[in-house]
This record gives sequence, structure tokens and C-alpha cells, in this order.
Amino acid sequence: MSATFHEAGYAHLVELVHQKDGGARRQLASVRLTAYDTAGVCHVTTELDPRQEILDLDALLGQACRAHGRLLAVFDARYDPTVFPYRPHHYAYLQRRDSAAPPLYYAVNATLGGVPDRIGAVALNNFESYLFLDRPLTERYALALGNLSRFATAEAQVISYYDGARLTEEVRLPPKAHTEIPLAPEHDGQRLRRVELKSLFRLTSYVVGRRAREDALVLFDHLFTYFK
Amino acid sequence: MLGRLRSLARRVLGVTRESTYYLPWLTRPGLECVVLVNNIESRFTSGRGATATDLGATVTQYDAGGGVVGVYTTALSDSADAREVRLTPTAAGHGFVTVRTRRIHSDLYVALVDGESYSATHGRQEFIEHYPPWTRAALAIAGGAVATAGGTVPLFARDQYVYHGPDSRSHVLIFNLSNVVNRIRVVATRDGTRAGTRLLRLPPMGSALLDIATLGPPAEHLVVERLRLTGNAWFNLYLVGAGARDLDGALSLMHVK
Repeated sequence: MSATFHEAGYAHLVELVHQKDGGARRQLASVRLTAYDTAGVCHVTTELDPRQEILDLDALLGQACRAHGRLLAVFDARYDPTVFPYRPHHYAYLQRRDSAAPPLYYAVNATLGGVPDRIGAVALNNFESYLFLDRPLTERYALALGNLSRFATAEAQVISYYDGARLTEEVRLPPKAHTEIPLAPEHDGQRLRRVELKSLFRLTSYVVGRRAREDALVLFDHLFTYFK
Repeated sequence: MLGRLRSLARRVLGVTRESTYYLPWLTRPGLECVVLVNNIESRFTSGRGATATDLGATVTQYDAGGGVVGVYTTALSDSADAREVRLTPTAAGHGFVTVRTRRIHSDLYVALVDGESYSATHGRQEFIEHYPPWTRAALAIAGGAVATAGGTVPLFARDQYVYHGPDSRSHVLIFNLSNVVNRIRVVATRDGTRAGTRLLRLPPMGSALLDIATLGPPAEHLVVERLRLTGNAWFNLYLVGAGARDLDGALSLMHVK
């Protein structure tokens, strides 16, 4: 599965098929879109035409977003069974309407859906990080997190690093629930330098940066696991 | 099969590939470009006992013409350190940087800072292709001949969606990752119909910023175009996100797969 977040007021076009997926190699058999509010309640379920290349997410979710706030949009793509398992890797174009902020183009999170990276793992073993510029800008940062699992509540730690200090926030997300954890740009006069996310299994996770003036997204990017 | 054929062709032609980490850069008046060097994930491996030498990096900035604008060296005090390298603006205002270190374990970031906020993307670990003199000469002759008909020697191809509307668009920043002249033919289609074509000539290690508005008729609302890019040597691309003020406004750099 893959997942992203959608908010009202944004043009949001999602490329359903990865451009390097030659039709002869990987046939997209079906795509189901479901969308959940922050509590994990499903508000939209729809089967998409797998021949469709670009999906206008706002056309499908805009109304539900206005009623229920930010939604977690989940793409459950099924491919030719002979190439299973395959996690779709696709991109999307995102821009706040009537904003001076530039559009963003980002890789939609591929997420395991609640399966630990190592079966039997009992410790927080999924680890991602992201670095920030050391500048006194007015941009507001956050980490958007969603739990795609069907049954398991996710426990995670969000650790923010400042020069000489680290702040840890515990996060608990029921299935399909999501949240946005604000990251303070400063702590005791020190700038935010880095954030880390630790969890038992892979969550939907994006680093979020918003222009203070218009609240428009200028960062919406995946975190990084280290090179193996 | 195709991969083996390519590998065989490279050996026959004497083409070598140098592993290279690179990032795009872009400057405009009021828009600063910064590379954030780090090796944060190395602390899980070699970084635990790394010295400053192990964690140093050399950043080489190439301009649109393939010339070296600047070489910047930076050293990380430890594996948790991160350093910012401010890139030099040029007239064309775009290109790419290569980063040389003893060993990178982390993705590096490049940020566009407009004084109020910044957008960022990451680089890519790939390679630079080196062609020997006789192969360069052969490609120059063949490429020049084909270019008279608006084409190129089609050795590498990429497909990319681009977005085009009155209030926003995604331009394409294309890099020639080789030491030969790279003629890149761009064909844009919209709704299954050819919208426009361009033939770009990129000097060795050069780059081009393709204005997407020049490839087809104006769009009254946000439309998606499919680009097919074909080149005679290795190349890659990033997208440049532009809002209502186009390249005079705030911009974003965006990686593609």
C-alpha cells in the first residue's frame, strides 16, 4: 500500500502508475482508494480505474476534507500476482490554491501496512531521520504520521534534536488514525537540527513545512532510512 | 538482456562510469541555494569510529555550461554534525553539484531559501559517464548529423509527467552526466496528442532549464503533460516547481525516480 495526506484547498494530482513501470512488466490490476479522518474513521472508499494515469485527489476527497479535516488517503494497488509482492512507488503534485508558495512534487509513501520489518521484533526497529536548515525562518515544521495497520495500534517516538538537547514525544496511533506532531523550531535558544522517528513498523510519515504567512506547504517529503 | 547489451556496448566503446553523488542547484535574485552536508546515518556503521577526515566532503559546483563555478570543502566534526554549503549564483542560475567523500551513508539535501521559508529535496547516488576521445568524436559526428533532422542518437530515455497551469507549473532541470555533448530530444504529449518537441544541446557536465510553457499551447487550467526525453549519453532530471510568478517567485526543487 501507499499513502498520503490530503487537506482542503490544495490541488493534488497523484500519479497512479510509476513511470518506470513498463506495461509489459507490471500490470496494475486494481487500485482502491480509502480515506480516513484523524481518528481512523473511513469516509471514502472507491475503486479507481487502473488505466487512469493521474488521479485528481481533491476532486474525490475535497468535500470529505471540508467536513472532516485532513484525511489519510490510502492506495491499495494490486499487481499481476506473478510479481507479488510489489510496493507501488509513485509521485504526486501538490499546491495550495491562491498561494504564492511553489508547487511540490513528492514520492508517495510506500508503507507496509502494519507488518514489522523483522517478524518477531518487539523493539522499536524502524528508524528514519530528517535534517533541517539552521536558519531563523518563520516556517513551521511538523511530522505527519499515519498508521496503516488493520488491527495493531502503533507506538512511535518522535525525537527532535537541538544543539545539546533532545526532546522525545511518544505517539500512539490506533489503526488508520493519523496526526501531525508540531516540531518546535527552537528550544532554549537552539535551532531544530534534526528529527528522528522510531516505530515498530513503518508508518506513513512526511516531514511538513508550512509558510507562516499563508499556511501553505513548502515541505512535504519523506524521511530517510540510512544506506545499508 | 538490454542491460547486458548496454554493458557490452560500454566495454566495446571504452565508456567508464564513475560513481558520483550529485544534487541540483538553482539560484535567482532573492533565492539562496544551500547544500546540507551530513553523514548522519554513518554512526550506525563506520561513523562510530570515524575521524574528521572520514567525514569530510568536497562539493564541486558545475554551471549550465559545464564549467566549474566553485569547489567547497567542508568537514564534519562527528557523525551527528551537519554543515551548510552556500552555492554561488551565476547568470544562468542553475546546474548541479557533485559531492565527493570517503563514504556517504546518508542522503544529502539541497534547499532553496527565500528568506521566509525554504523548500528542499535530496540528491542521488549515480554515476558520471566518461567517453574516450575516439568515442566522443564518433558521437559528435553521428549526433550532429541526426540533429540536422531534429533528432538525437537515442541511447537513453526517460519518461516524466509535468504539470502546467496558469497558477503553477513544473519546469524540468536536465543534467548531462557525461563528458560528451548530449543532445536531448524532448517530446511532450497532452491528452494523447503531441503538444511540442525540443532538441536541447547540453555541453559536457552542463544542464538546461526547460521552460514547460514553451512546449505547448497555454493551459487554462492545470493540465498534465507526458514528456519523453531521449539522449545520446547518460542524463537525469529534477523538476522545478513554480507558482503564479513563475521563475520570478518562490521555487521548489523536486526529485524524480
